[in-house]
Amino acid sequence: MAGWFLKGVALGVKTTKYPRRAEQAPGVSPGLPRPTRFLDAAQAQEVASRCPTGALSASGSEVAVDARKCIHCYRCLRSDGAAMSWSDDYDWADVPESATGQGRPLGFEPRFRRSVNILVVDAGDCGACLNEIAQLAAPQYNLHRLGFFLTPTPRHADLLMVVGPVTDAMRYPLLAAYEAMPEPKRVMAVGTCALGGSVFGPSFIAGGGVAELLPVDVEVPGNPPPPLAILHALRVVSGQIRGARR
Amino acid sequence: MTPRELIATEIRSRWSEFPLTVEWPAPDRLRIDVGEGSTAVDIAEWLVDERGFVFAGMAVREHRRYWRIHYLFYDHGIPGLWIQVSSDTSREQPLIPSLASRVHAADWHEREAEDHFGILFEGHPRLGDFVLHDEEWPEGISPMRKSFDASERILSRGTRPDWSPRRILQEPGAFAMTVGPIYGGLSEPVHFLLETTGENVVRAFPRLFFKYRAIEKRAEGLDVNGALLLAERFSATTAFASSFAFCQAVETMADIEAPPRARTLRVLLAELERLRRHVGSIRGICGSTALAVAESRAGYLEEELLRLSGEIGGHRYLFGLNVPGGLAADLADGACRLLAERLAEIEHALASLRRMLGTTSSFLDRLEEVGVVTSEEAGYHGLVGPVARASNIVCDLRAAHPYSGYERFAVAVPHEEEGDGYARLRVLFDEALESARIIRSAARDLPSGAVRTPIERAPRNAWAFGAVEAPGGASIHWLWLDEEGRVERYRIVPPSFVNWHGFHLAAEGFAFQDFPIILSTFALSVAESDR
Amino acid sequence: MSLADGLLVLFFAFLGVAIIVTLVSSGRSGPLLMALFGAASGALLVAAGAVILAGGRPVDLSLWSIPGLGALHLALDPLSALFLIVAGLVFLPVSIFSAGYARRYEGRYSLKAMAVNSYALFASIALLLSTDSLLLFLLAWEGVALFSYLLVNFEHDHAPTRSAAYLFLVMAEAGTAAVVVAFMLLANGAHSFDFAEIRAAASSAGPGIRWAVFLLSFFGFGVKAGIVPVNAWLPRAHPAAPANVSAIMSGTVLNMGLYGILRTNGDLLPLTQVAPGVIVLLVGALSAIVGILYATTANDLKTMLAHSSIENIGIVVAGFGGAFVFAASGRGDLAAILVTAALYHMTNHSLYKSLLFMGAGSVDEAVGTRDLDRLGGLARWMPLTSIFFLAGALSIAAIPPFNGFVSEWLTFQGILRSAELASRAVQVAFVLAGACLALTAALAITCFVKAFAMGFLGVARSPEVRRARERPLITVFSLGIPAALCLLLGILPTYVIPALDRAARPVVVETSSAVELVPPFFAPPPYSGELPEGFVRDFHDIGAQVGQGLLPGRGLVVLHRGGPDRHVVFAMAPSYMILLLVLLGGGTYVVVRVASRSRSLRRARQWDGGLHRLPHELTYTATGFSNPVRVIFRGIFRPRTIEDLHETMSEHFRGPIRRQYEEVHVVTRLFVKPLTRSARWLSDNLARMHSGKINTYVGYVLITLAVFVVLAWFT
Repeated sequence: MAGWFLKGVALGVKTTKYPRRAEQAPGVSPGLPRPTRFLDAAQAQEVASRCPTGALSASGSEVAVDARKCIHCYRCLRSDGAAMSWSDDYDWADVPESATGQGRPLGFEPRFRRSVNILVVDAGDCGACLNEIAQLAAPQYNLHRLGFFLTPTPRHADLLMVVGPVTDAMRYPLLAAYEAMPEPKRVMAVGTCALGGSVFGPSFIAGGGVAELLPVDVEVPGNPPPPLAILHALRVVSGQIRGARR
Repeated sequence: MTPRELIATEIRSRWSEFPLTVEWPAPDRLRIDVGEGSTAVDIAEWLVDERGFVFAGMAVREHRRYWRIHYLFYDHGIPGLWIQVSSDTSREQPLIPSLASRVHAADWHEREAEDHFGILFEGHPRLGDFVLHDEEWPEGISPMRKSFDASERILSRGTRPDWSPRRILQEPGAFAMTVGPIYGGLSEPVHFLLETTGENVVRAFPRLFFKYRAIEKRAEGLDVNGALLLAERFSATTAFASSFAFCQAVETMADIEAPPRARTLRVLLAELERLRRHVGSIRGICGSTALAVAESRAGYLEEELLRLSGEIGGHRYLFGLNVPGGLAADLADGACRLLAERLAEIEHALASLRRMLGTTSSFLDRLEEVGVVTSEEAGYHGLVGPVARASNIVCDLRAAHPYSGYERFAVAVPHEEEGDGYARLRVLFDEALESARIIRSAARDLPSGAVRTPIERAPRNAWAFGAVEAPGGASIHWLWLDEEGRVERYRIVPPSFVNWHGFHLAAEGFAFQDFPIILSTFALSVAESDR
Repeated sequence: MSLADGLLVLFFAFLGVAIIVTLVSSGRSGPLLMALFGAASGALLVAAGAVILAGGRPVDLSLWSIPGLGALHLALDPLSALFLIVAGLVFLPVSIFSAGYARRYEGRYSLKAMAVNSYALFASIALLLSTDSLLLFLLAWEGVALFSYLLVNFEHDHAPTRSAAYLFLVMAEAGTAAVVVAFMLLANGAHSFDFAEIRAAASSAGPGIRWAVFLLSFFGFGVKAGIVPVNAWLPRAHPAAPANVSAIMSGTVLNMGLYGILRTNGDLLPLTQVAPGVIVLLVGALSAIVGILYATTANDLKTMLAHSSIENIGIVVAGFGGAFVFAASGRGDLAAILVTAALYHMTNHSLYKSLLFMGAGSVDEAVGTRDLDRLGGLARWMPLTSIFFLAGALSIAAIPPFNGFVSEWLTFQGILRSAELASRAVQVAFVLAGACLALTAALAITCFVKAFAMGFLGVARSPEVRRARERPLITVFSLGIPAALCLLLGILPTYVIPALDRAARPVVVETSSAVELVPPFFAPPPYSGELPEGFVRDFHDIGAQVGQGLLPGRGLVVLHRGGPDRHVVFAMAPSYMILLLVLLGGGTYVVVRVASRSRSLRRARQWDGGLHRLPHELTYTATGFSNPVRVIFRGIFRPRTIEDLHETMSEHFRGPIRRQYEEVHVVTRLFVKPLTRSARWLSDNLARMHSGKINTYVGYVLITLAVFVVLAWFT
């Protein structure tokens, strides 16, 4: 047992400086396409048409990006034709308009500032989002240091993190978990599937995202969103920072 | 006459009174079409029982007036042989001869087909409540039929809230411990029923398909590029292996081959994925035994590997790289060399972790002689991958059926005899280290040239299957394309689906508290099996 | 005639009237009369005993005198008075309970028989306790056995009931036979049947006689008390008997065995050697552990309670044993503590066990089953019964502030004092017994967590549970009486201990150190020389005088002073503890209430992982709960597989797994079976001697003659 301790110490501190400093290590994010201006409308049209999920939309010679739909297929990047410009950032989380709208004052719960207990429900994800959340516990991210804790039971949970498009069989368990959570509670939709179904839904068996079922308070785009993007979202939901773009 | 041809001859002579069609689409692929009747089941049983073939999977297709059923087998021989046996049953027939009662590995395939197509297998002792759960779905819905409209939710369908589990343990005071579907901190949804009278699990029964997304149905009607997205993303932790198999199938149909550089790079990336997945599984095992330091160390390595993947391939889970004909983007030689360098460190750390775990008695106590699967059990369940190899079933498609450049790397197949949790852990470590070795050797001697062979004539009205050794074991992707080159049927037999079928073997007879550990040593993916 | 005399005579007269009225009354009013007469006679018993324990003159009443047989003489000393009070405290609520409970038998069995038998049992018990003659004692003893048998055999249409009752009768008679021999030895020594003369002659008894009387009386009376290895009848009789009968049996009849043991070995012929005491101690500890092991794994509520009676009686007997050892070693002070503790525990056991049996009866009546695997969630349907059952379960599991805690704690403290004994071997015996009792205490918690959790919490495990309704108020009320007493005895030990001490006086004559367990912290200074000034001041500093002037008595602290060098050996103050608990709990409640005034209570479904519904077959069963105990103590339970069938539907497809086990009680396996086997062997061999040939018989005669001739030659 002492050996483990020594080995642990010998490894040194591997934890990211984020959020105090941006993490620059390569490979921490798959990146997202950036809105790009092309030579002409035809080229923009061609680039946008390569997107299989409709995340790109051309207007004139400019191509706009809907990050909520991007699945990082790189078809707009890796091709013989023109390519979108690409960003490697990860602070993507945002508050959906529905959550800021009438009747649901965002007013981030002051009680969430110090510690948030998170229940993760896999509602049909491909395994990537879940694995990225699992990475948050790895030494590189160590989410506990920021006051976030994973809990296995909704009874202790403040935040419901949902991954996956919400499959038919998971609708009821997901609702049951949400209802079993005490107030105040928040819902975070993690990943493109949870935002809109991605390549899986909507269909007879897979839904078109969490918002069909539960009021979503924070959205994290990405397929999967890298751990830092989820960490960013956690900071948004706990009221440490405001959302990304809006 | 080669041994391969001997098998064909023997089948022909044994079933000489039946009109068999025997073809050789490739030197290692034998295709037998038996027409109507139960000959296919007889041949299948003979192949498995007498010739030691492994039942690899079953695909059902709706074909005009018939149900076409394809059985696929492969053997452990080097070089190996794939045999596909196909038969037809008229759709007017209410029952289809069951293979499961004779070849147990076909059990879940038939249960799945029953739920998918609403067809019944004569003599299968346990059907129903599989893909579509009884408490949510009435009988009579068959989503895989062509006539079924998969785009709309079926809202009013009469759920059955009075559902009760089917139990087999009849003993005073027996009950079924329920776990899930939402359980644990970061678990994929499965509903386990552990029948017991307390203390020991007498029967473990996983109810899967909470994550059923009907990938096979959704692929139908898509073009190859659209289906590729599904193939790659239905199970992200083995995305590269799945897209690899899918691309293989398309390449076989289009009769092209990826350029040498792409083939070597594919080996490199596939091994990188395997390494990352195995390290993740090792992390899971350490976590299940509450060995926090070891879990952190493995977690550290996993994240490093994810970052490496992101650095060289753009995406941390290697999405968007595989395309029919090769790779979507080239990897810089420098990046590959960097990878090889970094891997040396990871290999070192992994070996040290292994040494440490091997001397931590509190850890070994939880794994040794726990969750035992005998070689015989693994055999008749047709288990694959590290799980099977830990039970002394020495089979690895990379060695037995080398594909896409694996010929160039003599792949060692680590295996153990005990079949317990520790044996599975050792196999995971050995394979991870072997993968690191293959990556370094591939990076050292990377052919130059293009990474993508253009497809000249898009395949239409064709079919093929691709098979790769995914991290979890053999992964088989069948693809049928219609006249317009759109997917007519896509059938995936992922390794987790096969291994979940045998998981109960390991869990039964052991105490409750061993259950999560046994589960972690199986390194199963639900996304992959539920698809 | 003193007050106690009057009350006692009134009791007997009242019961006589009750029997006559019951016999002539119409059947319909039977239950009501039973409640009235039973409760009133119970109250009379309590009153008679209380008068004596409170310091009244012991009963000494000659009723009449028959030449040749001696006088019919009633005598009631404090020891008998305590047993009398306990009996009364059991009769009172149980009689009320019977009124409601007995209705289930209306039309099927004779309620008159039940009433008359139970009055006769009351009378026998009272007579047994109030006699000072061996003959009358035996008569009453037989009465107790007979009327108990009739009551156990109440549902006589039922074959298992008959065989269980018969087993009880046979074992009771075997015990009586042993007791008769012991009494003959006593009477022979004193040339009298009178207690006083036997006492006087005790000092002249030789060691052989002492051993014989001890062994015969201990195991003879032990049958009725239910100690190992003569306990076989208990777990079979209780499930067979009606619940009210079980309550009475457990609450009073078992005590009669204890009374016999204590009266004979503590009073009539006090043990002067250490060895018998060690035997009593070890037998008690063994009974406790065996009893609780089987109780923990039993799923029938009443079988479980029956096994648990063996456990509790074991604890009491262990206390007696320790006291005998201390008394024989010249440590009368410690003996007094242990006797007090044991009598305390016996009182407690009578109260909570009758409560629990009535609870089990209520459940049985409301649901129709006592099988814990089929109960569950009753708290929702029978809230009051559940609360009272919980009180009983907490008491029996020795959880403060209930009474079981006080008596077990005192017993443990007493046994720990064995360190002051000289003999190493005896110390080892005490350590073994202490370890057994500790394990017993832990298992008792497991056992009653299981009983309450599986019976009253969780989900209903059978549809019958959902149809259960709360019992009528009168029944619930009858459960409330012992529940309240359990709580009172738990929080006011300082008032109980002096009374018990007085009761123990006939047994531990020379010292009254148990009364010192309650130091006079309430006494105004100067402290009457009993306690050093500084000592009292120290205790007053921490509040031991709180209640002074408000409450009667010596104080609220239980404390044992070891000697000049060791002021405090052990101490506790449950009264203050409960006060503090109430204050803290109430305070917390108020604070929470004030702090979160806007708090809204939300009732949510249990979290089951997201299932549509949680069928009861997916929740823990009682068997599952206690299975770890069964697995750990496999060597004791020795389950025998009688069926282990794994069906397959076709190759590798598993069908039903059918398994069944059978257990033979460890005492039956190790003691009763070998005994019966050797008895049978002996009789088989003796039977062979009856060959029927005249020559053989002549041979026997000749051999016998020769033997006698040779014997005569040498003597």
